[in-house]
Amino acid sequence: MLRFIIRRLLITIPTILVVITLTWGLIKLAPGNFYTNERAIPRQLRQRIKEKYGYDKPWYVQYARTIWPIIRHQDFGISLKYQGQPVSTIIARSLPVSASVGLLAYLLALLVGITVGSIAALKQNSRWDYASMALAMLGISIPNFVLGPLLVLGFSLTLYWLPPARWDGFFSRNTILPVLTLSAIYMAYIARLTRAGMLEVLRSDYIRTARSKGLRERDVVIRHALRAGLMPVVSFTGPALAFLLTGTVVVEKIFALPGLGNYFIQASLNRDEPLIIGIVAFIAITLLLMNLLVDIAYAYLDPRIRY
Amino acid sequence: MFKLTFKQTTIGLLLFSLVLASISCAASALKNEEFFGKVEVPRDNVMRYISGDEPESLDPQLSSGQPEGRIFMALYEGLVEYDAKTMDPVPAIAERWDENNDSSEFVFHLRRNARWSNGDSISAKDFVYTFRRGLAPELLARSASLASYIRQAENYNQGAVFVKDPKTNQFLLEKDFGTQATTIPLSQAPLSAAAPEYKPSAAEPTPDKDTEFHQRMHSPERLALPGDEKSRKAILAKNPKLQEAVIGKEFVPVGPEDLGIEAVDDYTLRISLKQSTPFFVGVLANNFFRLVPQKIVERYGRDWTNPAHIVTNGPFKMKSWRPYNELAVERDPMYWDTANVRLDGIRFFPMSDQPTMMNLYRVGEVDAVSNHAIISAWIDEVRYRKDYMAAPEAAVIYIVMNTTKPPMNDVRVRHAFDLALDKDTAMKWRKIVKPLRGITPHGIFAGYPEPKVAEFDAAKARQLMTEAGYPVITNPDGTFSCPSFPIDQVEYTFPTAPSNKITAEFWQSQWKKHLGLTVPLRSMEFKTFVDARSKLDYKGFAFGAWGADYMDPFTFLSLFYTAEHDNNTGWWDKRYVDLLDEANRNPDRAKRFALLAQAEQLLVDAQPIISVETATVNWTKKPYVKGMYPNAGSLFPWKHIYFERDRSKWDYGTPSLAANPTDQSSDSTLGN
Repeated sequence: MLRFIIRRLLITIPTILVVITLTWGLIKLAPGNFYTNERAIPRQLRQRIKEKYGYDKPWYVQYARTIWPIIRHQDFGISLKYQGQPVSTIIARSLPVSASVGLLAYLLALLVGITVGSIAALKQNSRWDYASMALAMLGISIPNFVLGPLLVLGFSLTLYWLPPARWDGFFSRNTILPVLTLSAIYMAYIARLTRAGMLEVLRSDYIRTARSKGLRERDVVIRHALRAGLMPVVSFTGPALAFLLTGTVVVEKIFALPGLGNYFIQASLNRDEPLIIGIVAFIAITLLLMNLLVDIAYAYLDPRIRY
Repeated sequence: MFKLTFKQTTIGLLLFSLVLASISCAASALKNEEFFGKVEVPRDNVMRYISGDEPESLDPQLSSGQPEGRIFMALYEGLVEYDAKTMDPVPAIAERWDENNDSSEFVFHLRRNARWSNGDSISAKDFVYTFRRGLAPELLARSASLASYIRQAENYNQGAVFVKDPKTNQFLLEKDFGTQATTIPLSQAPLSAAAPEYKPSAAEPTPDKDTEFHQRMHSPERLALPGDEKSRKAILAKNPKLQEAVIGKEFVPVGPEDLGIEAVDDYTLRISLKQSTPFFVGVLANNFFRLVPQKIVERYGRDWTNPAHIVTNGPFKMKSWRPYNELAVERDPMYWDTANVRLDGIRFFPMSDQPTMMNLYRVGEVDAVSNHAIISAWIDEVRYRKDYMAAPEAAVIYIVMNTTKPPMNDVRVRHAFDLALDKDTAMKWRKIVKPLRGITPHGIFAGYPEPKVAEFDAAKARQLMTEAGYPVITNPDGTFSCPSFPIDQVEYTFPTAPSNKITAEFWQSQWKKHLGLTVPLRSMEFKTFVDARSKLDYKGFAFGAWGADYMDPFTFLSLFYTAEHDNNTGWWDKRYVDLLDEANRNPDRAKRFALLAQAEQLLVDAQPIISVETATVNWTKKPYVKGMYPNAGSLFPWKHIYFERDRSKWDYGTPSLAANPTDQSSDSTLGN
């Protein structure tokens, strides 16, 4: 097990470097620069900016100047647009916002999704099953850029219960709508995954064995069926959580949250090279770590899997 | 077994649509309301304002955007401030100023009680430091060109060099080499030769004292050459006389002390310009000229704007900053006019999504939103309410044409495409915008004569196309076609945005209808677009827009002063430039405007652009927010703004922009 983890961690490093290199290449291919604006700037000034940031050098020198501090000091540099703010500071500041909203949304999705999915599986082809799966279908089909504004229209603009946007700390009414918007699709997915997983497990031999041993139905469901039935949910959790924690562009934009996703989209539009690379690298690391955690969790959930 | 029957499905669908209908009913109930959303005066005296995009930096000399500008007007002050209604320069740290006879030199008299937020007093030296810092080549300030009217500012900023004879310590002079043959402004004429340079005023019967520096300023301009060897050699190669003269000479970099900025004494600042600039004082209200604290900048370097270190001099000072979320400022007790600052603080919310801004406004979470917060789909919902701000903006939208490539290098073709646009219909369809004739916005500069432009005339447009060699044929069904026109050589390029796409389609349909030509549309990501347009790397037509840097027609006319920078058309005419120069030398406002208009007429006739529309401001403020006016630049002197708790004194409708001194004085007696 330990060897497996170490091996996976070691693979992470070249993967991240490849991701950074590809990102760097794409930024270089995109026309325009962080100083390109509606207003043209004088030629000499443009030249001096290029010199200052090394943009006048050949591509391999520029690449080395980007990649070396990252390898050597894990230093992603200073944002070009938000002058004077180091990339690490920006990530450290915006990550808690994205992560808390994302985590809360996912916990809510797990709670509701697993409950609804299990009930649907246990009462297959009942009213409950149809109703919850219809709702889940709706949840999957309504994109969050529709759901978010709908929730705002209902709860803020019509009922005046909740604020329509802005971040005001984790424990505030401002958090409710973005969390709901974000969790809807995951809730729906998890419900469907749980239902499918449970249905398959409930028909398997070892559940029949458990039942014939005379175990109580509750024990059969919770100790045996649910544990195995959740395997698809677990494999879904890794990438989903990585995605949620590192910020979601749409929800953060609709609700004006100061999270990573918001910075990411602005950084791309601003051609803010260090910030783009920093955020991409961060997301990649999170994604790889989450996948690793999922693989470890597999081993615990399924006695047949051993590394 | 349970199955949804047809009946149950119908009931479900009905229920769902009922929910939707009730929501939209509640939303449309708003239609009859006087204001857009909740109106409740906040209990505390802290204004909540959506300032637009996240500020790039809190250094007023480094960020040039409007969102930052709005915040800087709370935190920093310069010699002058924008008037709340007209945006003309009004006294700030400078109590008054004198202007010499040809507007090439200005003397500012500073108030003695101006202080920094840490209590230090402000003197003329602070301005000398700030101006020099802003122009320093290593600062890389993007708006440094705004200061280029100041003597040697451009040369210093671009790292140019003077040419000195090491034996005699004499510098080569510009006039001897004829690199720039223009009338010498008074600021460069010998002091004795100039008759009284300043008109005596009541406050100051005799001009300010003469200094050694001043005498040096009043001498012929030194010759400056580019600092880098390559460009210098290119210039010398073209001028043999100059090449010979520089042999054996020394190149001395233009330094900060060569700039035409002088602290005559602690409270007198003299600025020498390289040319006549009648609108110069208006330029000085820009962020770039707002004071920065020397001690703090020198101690903390780039980090001086960190909330822990920052020292400011505006009516408000920094309270807290959570980037991308909120920047809070509070009244600064050290500010010289703090007794007249009405709000206890302002919370600036940076935000870029327009519907989100308006949602916050509607539920009463903010008191006012930034300009252009209302998307076109919402305009009708908002514009008839009494909290909508309707006023012209000092900004124009036009189409640039690539005059360097056929077929658009033919002026007849350019005229034809202009004449084939029915702008009256466009105005009606765009609802809130104003017409545009030429490049200067309509209804902004009082007394400025607009150029004569040709009205929409489709028949004439077709005739011109025919004359240019592209006959327009009338089809049997009454439509037109122009088969010989190289339509693959033109397209209309615009930055990606839904609003740009709709207007592009409108113009496309007009050209199709009247010329029988379907100009292809091409949208591009913003920076990609700007990059392509500035390199004239577009075919035919591209989107153009410009906003005023200062309140003078010259800010628009100067777009075509050079062939590069923001010209974007490739069109350049020496006569145009000469007319502009002549206008700026003219001390008489009406005559100057007439000359500027003459230049604009030249531009209209050469038609490198198709004028489309003058923008209008497009935002809302709650009726209890008083002292905030929809001025042409959407920049607000925050100290005059206050919350009115008496409903009868609220603003019902757009407050008048007419300068009215009695209204101002009554404002200051009201409040709380």
